[in-house]
Formats: sequence, structure tokens, C-alpha cells
Amino acid sequence: MTEEMRVAVDRRPAGAILHTKGYINNVGGEEIANRAYELMDDGVRTLLLNLKETKIVNSIGISILIEIIEKMIEKGGKISFCCLTPVIHKTFQIMGLANYATIYDSEEAALKDLGFAA
Amino acid sequence: MTMTAERQMELTLPMVPDIEIAAARAAGNLARELGMSSERIDEMAHAIIEACINAREHSGCADQRIYLRFVGTFQGDSNPRIDVWITDHGRGFDLSEARTRRQKLGPAYKRGRGIQLMEAHMDEVEIITSVDGTTVHMVKYEKKS
Repeated sequence: MTEEMRVAVDRRPAGAILHTKGYINNVGGEEIANRAYELMDDGVRTLLLNLKETKIVNSIGISILIEIIEKMIEKGGKISFCCLTPVIHKTFQIMGLANYATIYDSEEAALKDLGFAA
Repeated sequence: MTMTAERQMELTLPMVPDIEIAAARAAGNLARELGMSSERIDEMAHAIIEACINAREHSGCADQRIYLRFVGTFQGDSNPRIDVWITDHGRGFDLSEARTRRQKLGPAYKRGRGIQLMEAHMDEVEIITSVDGTTVHMVKYEKKS
């Protein structure tokens, strides 16, 4: 029943992509935060979260994502998201997350806009 | 307008981590049997998850159980409707305080947005809460008339 979160890190010259798989709850959110903070400590300032393999989020997990965004903004960086399901997209808008992070329909569009593809 | 009872399900679930997923999947299976679209089912699933988390995190109930009832009907010829009741026997909460809290901004208010999500994802939400417990009744239609 438990959908354990898996996070794959893809480092690029321009930043990093986190591919999440599973439920973003308190445990999943913390797992994403751990990876994101490691990357920030390593100097990454452009981070893309690809949620293609995540179908469920909850409000606790989203509050952790907001904390990650705030920490990145403090460091002068930027976090973006791509490949959200319609319901997760709607949930992000309700929770105000969309006010602080850009949401892209596809990873291709995100990479192009964020300068990863160059 | 006619409503015919087609499917009913009752569950008693322990308050353990991620039990909300089991509740959401059970309701989703019932809704799928009635022909509800996957996007509407996903919205309902997210609302059920928030209601179960609120019960688990905040009810303080002694029996550590969540009581769920799902009823699937059709409104009109082909408009599935799912009624969901999620009950705990906890201490209840101040609904007006919870609604006020979500209007505020700032780090202290990042949490506690579950009711807002339930109301956004469902077509009808009614919360009855007292010192004897809380029942959340939510309704999801395929097509809201």
C-alpha cells in the first residue's frame, strides 16, 4: 500500500533535475528536501522537479516543497516543476505554490526555458 | 431528479501511516465501476486523503480508527455521484478557526490547508464536528448540474 518515494538526481552543467516517483507526503517530501538541500549545498541554483511518476500529493508534502522553494529563493536560485497531473497542478495552485515556482507542461519545455538544453 | 443506490462500501481503517491511500483507492474503485472519469476520481482521491490525514493527525481519538462510508448513485441517466462520509471519534475542532487560519499568509500557515483542498476538489463538503468526533461528508459528481 505504501508508495515509497524514490528520487533520481540528474546533474547538468546548468543545474539539476530531480525525478520523483511515488507519494509526496511527509516522508516523500523530506526525501525530496534532502536531495534538494544536498544540491543547494553543492552550489546548484537552478532545480527542476519532474513529477511525471508522482500521482498523489498531500498538503503536508506540499508544505515541505514550499519550504524547499523558500530556501532556494533565499539563496538566489530558482525551482521549477514539470509534468504534473491535472489534479496536482490544481492542488499546487490552491496551495499557492504556483506563485513561487514556474510550472511547465513538459521536461523539454522546462529545459529549454531554463537554459539546460544549450 | 432520481437517485438510485448502485454501490455501497463501508470500511473501518486503523490510523497508521499512509492508510489514506487505501481509503482513496477503495473509493476510486467504486467510482470507476460507476463510470466516473479518471480526473474526477483523482480529485476525489486527493480530498479523501486530506480528510483521512486530518482525522489521523488531529482527532486525538482513543480508538485510533477512521470510519468510512462510500455510496455511489446515478443522478439522471448517466451522471455518477459518489457520497463519502469520513468519521473519527476524536475531540473535534474549531471549524471557524480552521477557516480563518487559511486566509492568513506566512510560514506558520503553510500547514492546515486540508479543508481548503477538500472544498476545491469536491463538489460539496459538509463538516460536522463536536467533542464527540468529526464527520466529513463530501460529494463528487461526474457532471455538476
